[in-house]
Amino acid sequence: MEKAFARSNDSLSAIYEFAQEILATNSVGGAACYSVHLALEELFVNMVKYNPNVSSDIEVNVDVIDDKVKVTLTEYGVPKFDVTAPRDVDIEAPLAERTPGGLGVYLIQNLADSLEYEYVGGRSRVIFTKKTEV
Amino acid sequence: MFDIQYGDKGMIVCTGRLDAAQCQKGQVFLDEVMESSTLDFDSLEYISSAGLGILLKTQKRLAQRGAALKIVNVNKHMHDVFRYSGFHAIFDIEAK
Repeated sequence: MEKAFARSNDSLSAIYEFAQEILATNSVGGAACYSVHLALEELFVNMVKYNPNVSSDIEVNVDVIDDKVKVTLTEYGVPKFDVTAPRDVDIEAPLAERTPGGLGVYLIQNLADSLEYEYVGGRSRVIFTKKTEV
Repeated sequence: MFDIQYGDKGMIVCTGRLDAAQCQKGQVFLDEVMESSTLDFDSLEYISSAGLGILLKTQKRLAQRGAALKIVNVNKHMHDVFRYSGFHAIFDIEAK
């Protein structure tokens, strides 16, 4: 199922509601459900944050296919931003050396069963999948 | 929705979902915390990197005063997020 959401963090509650209806219909819960919500938030917020001058909506797809949940976020008229590129996050750094930020994409890279990025002619698309049984 | 307030036992009780849309509310509250405190996550369902960010910012500020945040009643899913983030090494965290 697909739905477009306004490019604002205020859209998050509507995105969770949209996804949760699909997950509940397909009896997806537990860790998979949490991971899907986290992926939706982190990827959506990233798109909002790094393209502040873009006004077009962000398309969100959530589908349950066999034993996987597939989450796709698509935006148009934006520069390339490959979320699959390795992130330089040192999770073992002591408190004094830790800085807020940068964890979102890192978390998604670690929680995903697969994470793909496509960029064609200004169309930027991220595809996250998670097994329904974790 | 997200809420944060002092509970009966002096702990800071968090409820709901601490996400990017709600973290400002958490940040405003935690900015007023000046001594070692315990956060009760028993009724917190969800946290994202935005929520982790305000916890980290507060922990760094308190460390300069010789104080720290402790987090208790963390559900399994959030505990995994803390572990992936390396927060288990910089916070005292107790699972549910």
